[in-house]
Amino acid sequence: MSADLDLRLPARAENVIVIRQAMAGLAEAAGMDARRVADLKTVVTEACNNVVLHAYEDGDGPIEVSAEIGEQGLGVTVRDEGRGFRPSAADASASLGLGLPLIAALSDSFAIRGGAGQGTSLSARFALVPAEPERSEPQPVGDELRMQVSPGDLVRPVLARILGALAARAAFSVDRLSDTMLLGDAVSHRRADDFREGRVEVAISDGDGTLDIRVGPLAEGAGERILSGLDIPGDGGSLRALARSVEVERRDDSEYLVLEVAG
Amino acid sequence: MRSGEVGLERNDEGYTVVAINGEHDLSTAPGLRSQLRQLIADGDPVIVDLTAATFIDSSILGTLLQARKDAGEAGVGFAVAQAEGAEAVSRVLEITGLRRDLPVHPSRDEATQQAIRATGDPG
Repeated sequence: MSADLDLRLPARAENVIVIRQAMAGLAEAAGMDARRVADLKTVVTEACNNVVLHAYEDGDGPIEVSAEIGEQGLGVTVRDEGRGFRPSAADASASLGLGLPLIAALSDSFAIRGGAGQGTSLSARFALVPAEPERSEPQPVGDELRMQVSPGDLVRPVLARILGALAARAAFSVDRLSDTMLLGDAVSHRRADDFREGRVEVAISDGDGTLDIRVGPLAEGAGERILSGLDIPGDGGSLRALARSVEVERRDDSEYLVLEVAG
Repeated sequence: MRSGEVGLERNDEGYTVVAINGEHDLSTAPGLRSQLRQLIADGDPVIVDLTAATFIDSSILGTLLQARKDAGEAGVGFAVAQAEGAEAVSRVLEITGLRRDLPVHPSRDEATQQAIRATGDPG
C-alpha cells in the first residue's frame, strides 16, 4: 500500500486533535498495530505543539503536515513558516520540555531541520509493526580524553585550549601551564604522514596534579623524529626537560609518544 | 473519539474525583489547570482518574505535575489513578517515568486513600 496525505491548517491548539486523528486514521488503514498508532499520535501531537507554542509570535500561521506510507513504514513531517526554535524558560516549564524527548523516544527515527527565520520542519518515521529494538551498548570508555584533528593550523588552537582547561583543572602553576603548552605545540604540530591514520591523534588523561599526554598511533620512526624535534638547536638543550618523563612506547604494533607533565 | 471531557465527582466524605475522559492536549490543558487549581484552593483531597482518558500529551503531564506541587504546598492531598488505561496514555506515563514518579496508582481507591492520608500533611 502506498498513500500520501497533506494537511494545512492554522496553528492553533484546537486543531492539533484534527491532525492527530487524521494521522491515526491513515496509520490504522495501513495496518499499523495499536501501540505504534499510539506512539504516532503522541509524536505528531508533540511536533504540532511545538509549532503552536513556539513558531509564530503574533497571530496565526500555518501548520503543514504531510505523511507517506511505503515499504519503509510511515513517514510524517510537521512544518511551519515561523521564527524557528527559541529557548524559552516559560514555555519549557509549561510542558516540562518533554515534547522533544517523547518524539525521540517513540519514533524509529526523527530529524529536525530549520534555523532562525527559516521555519522548522520535524520529520519522524515509524515501522508499521514494531521491530525488536536493537540495543547498542556504548563502547567502553576510559577516563582519558581522545582528540583527533586534521593536521595543520587547527591543531595548535584546539590542543592549546584543551591542555589549558585540563592543566587549570589540575591546578598547574602559570609557569607549568606555559611549559605544557610548549610541549603540546612541539609534539602535535606534525605532518600528517607522521600519524598512521593521517590525522593528529592525542589522548590526555589527568592524574593527581599531572597530565599524561599520549600521541599516536604514529608512523614507524615518527616517535624518534618528534623527540629530535624537541631539541633546541645550538645549545644542546631540549624541551624534554619540561616534562617529568618523555618516552616512545610500542603497543599493539604501533608507536606512541608518551609524556608526563606535572603541575 | 471523545475530546476534552472532565467529570467532577464530589464525595460525601469530602474528596473530589476529577475523571479525565477522552483526548486531552494543549487545547484542554488550560481548563483542566484552572479546575485543579480551584479544587486545591478549596482544600479538600483531589484525585485525578486517568482510566477513561484515551490520549494525553506533555501539556497534561505538566498540568498534573503543577497540581501535585500546588497541592503539596497547600497541604492538600493529591493523587493520580489509572486502572487498565488506554495504550497512548500508558505509554507516555511509562516512557517519561511519571507512573513511578508522580506516582500513578493502579486503582481509584488506592489513589483516594493516598490523597486522604496526605491532606493536612504539607509536602
